[in-house]
Order: sequence, then structure tokens, then C-alpha cells
Amino acid sequence: MQQLIPAFGFGLITASILAIAAVGFTLQFSVTNILNLAYGDIMTACAFAAYLANHAGVNIWISLVVGALFGAVFSMLLNRLVYFGFVRRGTRLFGMIIVTIAVSLIIQNLLLAIFRPTFFTYEASQGPSYQLGSMVFTASQLAIMGIAVVAMVCVHLLLTQTQLGKAMRATATNPGLARSCGIPTDQVIDAAWLVSGALCGIAGVALVLNTATFSETTGAAFLVPIIASAVLGGIGQPYGAMLGALTIGIAGETAAALMSPAYKDVVAFVILIVVLLVRPQGILSEIAAAKEVAA
Amino acid sequence: MPTSSADETGRPPAYLQVDDLAAGYGASVIVNGASAGVGHGEIVTIVGPNGAGKSTFLKAIVGMIPALSGKVRLGEEDVTNMKANNLAKRGLGYVPQVNDVFETLSVLDNLAIGGYLLSRPGAARRMEAVLETFPALKTMLKRTASKLSGGERKMLAIARVLMLEPRLLVLDEPTSNLSAELSRMLLEEHVRRLGKGGTALLIVEQKALAALTISDWAYVMAAGTMKVSSAAKDLLARKDIGEVFLGRSTEGPNVQRASGGIC
Repeated sequence: MQQLIPAFGFGLITASILAIAAVGFTLQFSVTNILNLAYGDIMTACAFAAYLANHAGVNIWISLVVGALFGAVFSMLLNRLVYFGFVRRGTRLFGMIIVTIAVSLIIQNLLLAIFRPTFFTYEASQGPSYQLGSMVFTASQLAIMGIAVVAMVCVHLLLTQTQLGKAMRATATNPGLARSCGIPTDQVIDAAWLVSGALCGIAGVALVLNTATFSETTGAAFLVPIIASAVLGGIGQPYGAMLGALTIGIAGETAAALMSPAYKDVVAFVILIVVLLVRPQGILSEIAAAKEVAA
Repeated sequence: MPTSSADETGRPPAYLQVDDLAAGYGASVIVNGASAGVGHGEIVTIVGPNGAGKSTFLKAIVGMIPALSGKVRLGEEDVTNMKANNLAKRGLGYVPQVNDVFETLSVLDNLAIGGYLLSRPGAARRMEAVLETFPALKTMLKRTASKLSGGERKMLAIARVLMLEPRLLVLDEPTSNLSAELSRMLLEEHVRRLGKGGTALLIVEQKALAALTISDWAYVMAAGTMKVSSAAKDLLARKDIGEVFLGRSTEGPNVQRASGGIC
């Protein structure tokens, strides 16, 4: 039992990163209707953007902002220049998934060509360690958790308190009707890519900060728990994704502590399969049900 | 070209004017050379058999599908192929036959989104006015729209579109999921009142007799074009046209009985 509490601490950190990533992923899907499987690779690309800034002498936390901005702009352009062309030609959900897999491979191999197959690290101090009961967190881990909480609060406020959030929820539910209410859905979709891309970037840099080293496959390897979190919560549901991230993050780290780190993804998969069997629409399911794509 | 056209004198000047519109889906052209007009405060109904292209005609006007040719004019402005969100800014409101509410959102959110183009105080004012018109909605503001009954749902859809006080309201089969009782209430109470208030109304309706009794003008659409343009009461008085276009639709004799029950 003794290793369970520290594992819970690790779980909280993983869950924080996972929550940022999964909320971005699910927001992207709910508003744009594209299940973007290149999401993990975009996280890696953002980590590299932050790496370039960091190695040019920029502080790691400002580099994180660089990563977020890169993710926002890259994601929006990816939609405008690649995805939207297919959507306009009437490519459906499944066809789009194949397109996103292609984009995923292209990004990963471009990164490999540019940065070469080796491991990279940020120049950043982990800061002093703090003891909380039998859990130990470094300053940067606490910062990651803080960023996750702030990001979640911001997403909540965006969706519930702003005109843009109202427009996003309307566009996610019924884009045609949203347009006839005067909502410029094309701009709303651009905004959704910007916001979700920024979350993707933050998650990418935070992931690398926590694992210390990274390569061109780091983000892609994180995609399974992201999808598991999003589906667990009911795909398209930001609050569900937060809940899913907490479950997957803590369960994965606990399993790693009890058995072996190799079981982290297995646990994510098992939880995913059980959820798909018992409640295929996810925990919070309204949008998934409306879109008839319960995973 | 309408094959039979009544004297159009006495009609208000057209606020919406559609000329020779063609529209369809992909390669199939469903509406081909259809023309119609609606004046301020005028209630205009399009009737006709299933598959005549009535809904397609409306969708091309309101910017849901592209017009392949022809012209749509709103007031003095050419609005052919204008995006739906820009048409909303110009006072065009549209209630589709299905997917007419934001299903996963609450009644309150639906109304708030209906008032998206308004300022905060403006939206609050309109919300009050709209709830005054549909007091039943007041008791279900927190309910999710997908949980409403057919009648409540249509009421919400119309309340939502009224948030912007449209000058032209386009309704696609507003009574299709409603009981005879609710249909009559919707048409005779709400639609008629909107017309009296100066709103131009363009309606497609299966329950033709019920709709024609409250309409000023009517078009009979078949095979993608307007076959008849006539004052609604004149159309109602014509025995032959009633048989061809109102009673004997492609759905067979049941429709006739259903329509008969409403008038």
C-alpha cells in the first residue's frame, strides 16, 4: 500500500497533462466534427517549437507559451489548408479519420527529417521539491497542475460565459441552425481550432517537461490515453474529458506502481473497453448521442 | 411560369422576391425556374405534392443550399447565395422542418442563441417578450430541448426565431409533428398574429387546407416549379385544384382524410 499514495501523486500530474490534452481534443471534435488523430503529433511539433525557443535562450515557461501559440496557429492552418478541403468535398467522419492518420504520419516523419532520431531535453530546472504527506512534487510539476486547473477554468468560462462559447456550443450541436441564428460558423470553427490547438501545445510542452526527454514519437504515444479520456467522458464533452483524464491518469499511475510501468496504457485500454461495453456513449453523453458517433 | 395566374393587384409590394430559382443536391436539380413573392405582413403558403421541391426552394432562399441560378431579392438587396448568418442580420428568420432546435442545449440556451446578434439588454428584453408570447416555455427553461414534446419543441423553435424579430419568417412544414389541435393553434393564433404585426411569412405546409385558410396568397408547386399563383381564398374555392394538389398527394387517401379533418 505504501507506494499507492506517491502513485496517486504521479497520477495527478499525468491527469493534469491528460486533462489539458483531452479537453482540447474533445473540443476540437465537438465543434469541427473532425476526430483529429494527428493531435498527438501536433503536441510533439509544439514541444519542438518550445524546444527551439528554449535553446535560443528563452525561459521554459515563455517557451511553453511559444508552444501554445504554435499549436494554435498550426492547428487552424491545418484545418484551413488540409482538412477543410476534404470536408467541403463531403468527406464523412470515417474518411476524415483516415486523412488525419495520414497527416499524423507526415508530421511525425517531417519532425524526424528535421530534428533527426535522437532524444531532446529542455534546459530547465525542475525547481525545489515539496512534500505533501507522502507525495513529493517538484516546482515544475506543481506549476503543470496549476496550469491545468487554470486551463480548465478558462475553458469552462469560455463555454458558459462568453458569446464565443455560446456560438461554439451552438455550432457543435447544429451548425446549420447556428448559421441561421446569425452565428458566423466558419469563424467559430477557426476559433475552435485556435483554442484547441493552444491546449494541444500546452499539453505537448507540459508532457515533455514531466518526462524530461522526448523524441518525434512522444506525443503519438500519448494519444491512446487522450482518446481513452475523451471517450470515457463521452466524446465531445469537455467536462467529461476532464473527468476521464482524472480517472485514466490516476488508474494508469496506480497500475504502474502496483505492477509495472508497462501496464499504464493497458489500463487505459481496459478502462476504455469496459466503458465501451457498459456505456458506449460515455459518462456524459449528450453530444455524442446527438452526433450518433458513440465511439 | 405559372400556368394559371390570378390578378396580383391588391398584393403588397414584394419584400422577398424570388425569380426563376434553380436548386438541388449535387447533380440532381429539384427546383427549376420557381418564382414567388412575399410582401410585408403577407402570409404566403406554398402547397403541392411530396417531392415537388417545396423544402428545397425554401432552403435555397435561406442560404442552406446554393442557388444554381435565378435571383433572390430581400427589400432592395440582391441576397442570392448569401450565407445564412448574413441573412439573419438582414431580418430573415428560418425554422426548418427537422433539426429545428439545439437538441442538447436547454430551452433557455436555445433562446439565448436565438438572440446571438442582440446586445445583452436587448436579448433580455426580447426573451421577456417571447416568453410572454409562449408562456408555456417559462416553466421549462432548464429542460433539455431533446426532452420536449413535439408541440413544445416547435413552440421553442418559433420562439427562438422570434428572438431577432425577423421581418421575413420562413417556416418549413411547421405543423408536421403536431396534433390537429396544436396545428390549428399554431397557424390561426401565432402565425396570423405575426402577419398582422407586419412580418412577411413564407410557409410550406402539408396540411394545406388549414394553412390556406390563414393565408393571403398561395402557390401550388409541382415538379420543381410554381404551377399556380393565386389568392388563397380563390384557391380554396376551386374544386379541381383541391383534388389534384391538396387531397391526392403521393401518400394516398390517408392524407386526404387527415387534411379534411383539419378544415
